[in-house]
Amino acid sequence: MKRTTLLLSFLLLSAAAPLALASSFAGTSAGASSAGSSGSSGSSSGDDKLVEQAQEDAAGFVASEGLLRTARLEAALRVLRERDPAARQQDDLALARAILARQ
Amino acid sequence: MRRHLAALAALWLVLATAQAAPVFELDDAGLSPAQRDATRQLLDQAVVRLPVAWREALDRPIAVRWRVDLPDGVHGRATRWAIALDRKLLDGIEAPGGSADQRASAAAAALTATLHELAHLYDRTPRGRLSRDPRLLDLAGWQVAALGPGRRGRNDLRDRSPDAYELASPREFVAVNLEHYLLDPAYRCRRPALAAHFDAHFGHPPPPPGGACAEGLAFVQDDPGSADPLSVIDPERIYAVDYLLAEPNAQPMSRWGHSMLRLVVCAPGRTPGPECRLDLQHHLVLSFRAFVDDVQISSWRGLTGDYPSRLFVLPLGQVVDEYTKVELRDLSSTPLALSRSEIAALVERAAQLHWGYDGRYLFISNNCAVETFRLLHDGVPRLAGRALAGITPTGLLRRLRANGVLDEAATPEDRDLAARQGYYFAAADAHYDALFAIARAELALDVADAQAWLAAAPTTRAEALRRAGLRDGAALLVLESAALRREQALAQDELKRRWLGRSGLAAASGRDDVASALQEYLRLGGAFSRPAAWLDGIEGYGLPQQAEREALRARAVQDATRRRAHAAALEDGVMALLSPQRRERVAATRANIVLIGERVRVLAGDHAGP
Repeated sequence: MKRTTLLLSFLLLSAAAPLALASSFAGTSAGASSAGSSGSSGSSSGDDKLVEQAQEDAAGFVASEGLLRTARLEAALRVLRERDPAARQQDDLALARAILARQ
Repeated sequence: MRRHLAALAALWLVLATAQAAPVFELDDAGLSPAQRDATRQLLDQAVVRLPVAWREALDRPIAVRWRVDLPDGVHGRATRWAIALDRKLLDGIEAPGGSADQRASAAAAALTATLHELAHLYDRTPRGRLSRDPRLLDLAGWQVAALGPGRRGRNDLRDRSPDAYELASPREFVAVNLEHYLLDPAYRCRRPALAAHFDAHFGHPPPPPGGACAEGLAFVQDDPGSADPLSVIDPERIYAVDYLLAEPNAQPMSRWGHSMLRLVVCAPGRTPGPECRLDLQHHLVLSFRAFVDDVQISSWRGLTGDYPSRLFVLPLGQVVDEYTKVELRDLSSTPLALSRSEIAALVERAAQLHWGYDGRYLFISNNCAVETFRLLHDGVPRLAGRALAGITPTGLLRRLRANGVLDEAATPEDRDLAARQGYYFAAADAHYDALFAIARAELALDVADAQAWLAAAPTTRAEALRRAGLRDGAALLVLESAALRREQALAQDELKRRWLGRSGLAAASGRDDVASALQEYLRLGGAFSRPAAWLDGIEGYGLPQQAEREALRARAVQDATRRRAHAAALEDGVMALLSPQRRERVAATRANIVLIGERVRVLAGDHAGP
């Protein structure tokens, strides 16, 4: 797992303290990314970034044996299948495990 | 007959074409024959540029005078059927000692001034009246009031103006913009909606597509992780625009929710269609937010409009994480029923605001719902006639529905299906208990529920993480990520309490290094919230064209790199401000994530097998 950008959320709320109560108010850009899905992937392509960001979604999917399906997971599965013919042969659960194995 | 002609000779007839043309009466007292000729030439040049309808509307003689008593910097003045021009311009055109360049530049200034004053005269005719045209006022930035009727007195579309004088009043706006419309071939690239509005007003056919404009619309994405924040969007690639609502929650200031728009941008190579709805990595969110540029914050300033309100362009993934994982709020995404050309117009309007809008956040009358409503109102003329105005995000959604502006035919009723297809993004904590139950059963954990698990000591959790299998490990991975976000939130609270007293971070902490790094970080963030700042000192107005985009990319990439470097340095600095216990918990939770992440990675790899 990549290191989270902890600082960004620190800044958001520590700097914008009373205002940060509302996100429509809590200005600054800093998108406090989540632990499992953030990281400095500025150089990777949008597709790679999507798959990387879908790891937490894939974990929920694997843990729930397919019950918890998010749009981000669906999008990542589709990207993998569009890019790799071999992935088209695998079922969703196997591909979700493959996403977890990539971290 | 001869006498009649002689009488007319005292007047000045400028017949640029066979069509009706304005008649000018020059006050030629004190002008040499050469100066008279120069004046005649100038008026000829102005008239040939006027659209036919404009010429025809100027149906009374117009008195023309060169004056020496206009205030400094004023090139002309229009009164009732009379225009006065600054004598210095004429002297410049005719200057015997001047270079050709100087004369040409004086002639250009005189032509601009003449067209400007003729625009004022035209605006006062019954055919003109552009400065009272509601659509023009929308485009110009004198927006409708949130709590109508009427319009706001202020115009916040101030950045990247061709001439700040246009903001003085709607009348000056019309005169300045007609100048540019007539004289600047790039006007229709830089202010396409206004150019199209003038075309329609004058009955000009729209120009053929293509032309010399830079392709697509440039936006600077405020993505802290991105190395190249400048992106160029082709409106043709946008399949749909959704109303994106962060659902209200119990937090006092989140009670109304947050309004945004989501651009469903198709992946390269995909034909725009429903398939694009899952190209999440290309979707963008337009979000109006207050930009907080100060380490010492005052809620009072938020109520009195001291914070800038800006249009941020964000990657969808970042917005989903921010609301569902950090704030634990649901997001709903409802398609708007818009035609292809309406989508293009709306996004072009968004680009115009992105580059030009510098508003003030006001809690009631200029919040995110009001700004989003205005973007729809001003971007899509058809919607301007609907009663959509509202001051709350949920109220705006209701009104969009009541007015048939939503396209809900394809939106699944079922929440799970909606979540799968990206019409709904559930708050992350909705499933924490279910995930924890999986791990508890598998690992025989002696903890009641997810909340208690997240609050437990990180070292206690680590013991379970070490013996997890794939399925329960995956559940614990999700929960450990949640635990880290929880620690972050608690750390923020602690920072607020410890360091953000009345005297502010810098004074209270004595940690000048952190405070100044924070200032610098916020300064860089400010640039991302107001991308026009990167183009200071670079020629151009309105939508940035090719030359500006090149300069912009260089500067934006440089600031993005600097911001990321500052972010890394600050992260360490901020950690040092925490209490040892809190620092320890954050560090231990991070270590847990590495531990369970690695374990799940290996187990998932084993499972996949050769």
